[in-house]
Amino acid sequence: MSLLAVAALAKSFGERRLLSIDALSLSAGEHYVLTGENGSGKSTLLRLLAGIEAADSGVGRFGKRRFDWCPYPDWLRREVIYVHQQPYLFHTSVAENIAYGLRARGVEASQRERLVAAAIAWARLDHLLRTPPQKLSGGERQRVALARAWVLAPKVLLLDEPTANLDAESRQQTIDLLRAFCGQASTAVIACHDRDMIALANMRRLHLVDGQIHQNSGAAP
Amino acid sequence: MGLLDATHAALRLLLSGDAQLWTIVGVSLSVTLRAMLIAMPVGIGCGYLLATLRFPGRRALIVLIQGLLASPTVVVGLLLYLLLSRQGIFGQLHLLFTQTAMVIGQVLIALPVLIAFSLAALQGADPRARETAVALGASASRVGWTMLVEVRFALMAAVCNAFGRVVSEIGCSLMVGGNIAGVTRNIPTAIALETSKGDFAQGIALGIVLLVVALGVNSAFAFFQGESRR
Repeated sequence: MSLLAVAALAKSFGERRLLSIDALSLSAGEHYVLTGENGSGKSTLLRLLAGIEAADSGVGRFGKRRFDWCPYPDWLRREVIYVHQQPYLFHTSVAENIAYGLRARGVEASQRERLVAAAIAWARLDHLLRTPPQKLSGGERQRVALARAWVLAPKVLLLDEPTANLDAESRQQTIDLLRAFCGQASTAVIACHDRDMIALANMRRLHLVDGQIHQNSGAAP
Repeated sequence: MGLLDATHAALRLLLSGDAQLWTIVGVSLSVTLRAMLIAMPVGIGCGYLLATLRFPGRRALIVLIQGLLASPTVVVGLLLYLLLSRQGIFGQLHLLFTQTAMVIGQVLIALPVLIAFSLAALQGADPRARETAVALGASASRVGWTMLVEVRFALMAAVCNAFGRVVSEIGCSLMVGGNIAGVTRNIPTAIALETSKGDFAQGIALGIVLLVVALGVNSAFAFFQGESRR
C-alpha cells in the first residue's frame, strides 16, 4: 500500500527545469534505490521530499491524508527524515546530537535518555561519547547521523549517498546499520550510484532521467 | 612632571583606592554593561532576522548598517543631543546629561557592530546546520536558537568588539553625558579632562584600568574559545 505519494512535483532553478515528476508513490515497508547521472536531481528530489528545498508545485498524500506540497506541511517533517551525504553534526556532543530531534518533539527527559542510550547501543557509539563531534571520522559521523535519525523512528527515511566517500570498513558498517534500520519496516529511499548499489531486502529501483522518474516495479538488479 | 613620575603617581592612586577615581571606573562599567545588556539581544536578533528573512530593501539595509560601523561616535552624540535637548522631540523626558542618555548613545553605537558581525557569522555558517535542524523537526524558534549556538564563538567575538568600541568611546558620552563629576564622568571623558588640565597621573591611572578591562574581556573570550577547541 502506498505510504507517501506525490504528483505534479516540479522544481526549477532559474530557467532550468530540473525536476518534473508526474507521479511517485512510495509503499510502506519497501526500500528504493534512487539512481541517475550526476546532476540529474537525485539530491534535489530527496530534499523536496524532506521539505528542505521548496518545490515550485506539487500535491501529496501521506496514508489517506492529502495535502499541498508547497508549503511543505510541518506535520510531515515528523514522519520523514533526510540524512545528508556528509551529515552535519551540531557542535555539542554525540549524545546531544542524537537527542536533538527528540527535544524538538518535546519527549520528556527520562524517556529521551532511555531512547538516546538505545540509539547509542544500536549504532555502537559508546566509545565515541566523549569525542567532540567535529573530531569524528566520516564513517563515525555517518553512524551518529543514522542513530540521530533512527531514534525518531521515521516512517520514511531519505538517504543521500550514504556510503559515498567512505573507506571500505566504514562503508560496510554503514551498510550493516542501514540493513538494520530498513528492516524495521520504515520506507527508505537511498540515492546512490550504480557502483555503490546497496543490496537490501525488497529493494526497488527509481531512476531519474531528464527530470522524470522511472519507477521499476520489480526488484533492483 | 615626567612620564615616569606620572606613572608612579598613577599606580599609587590606583592602589590607594582613590574614591574619585573608582567612581569614574564605576560609571564607565555600569553604563557600558547596561548598554551591552540591551544591545546584545536586539543586535543579535536583528542580525538573525537579516540573515534569515528575504524582503525588499534588505540589501540596502545591510549596506547601511555596514556603513554605520564606521560612524563617528561624536556624530551619534550630536544626533542624540538634538533629540534629547529641550527643543528636541524627546526633550520632555529630561534625559540629557544623565547616565540613561549615555546608555542610549552606547546602545546606538554598539548595534551596528552587533548586527553586522552576527549577520556575517550566520551567513558564514554551514547551510547544512539549518537544514539538519529543519529535517529533524525543529520549530522555527528552535532552528534559530540552534543556529545562534552553532556560531556562538563568532557571536562572542561580535560582543567583544562592540564592548571594546563602547567602553572606550568618548564623543557620544561627552556630548550627551556632559562629563559631570560623580554622575556622568566615565573613564574616556575623565582622561581627556585630566590630561587637558595637566593632571597626567589620574589620566594614566584611568588609562591602565581601561586597558585592563579591554584586555580582560578579550582574554576571557580567547580562553573560552581555546577550551572549546581542546
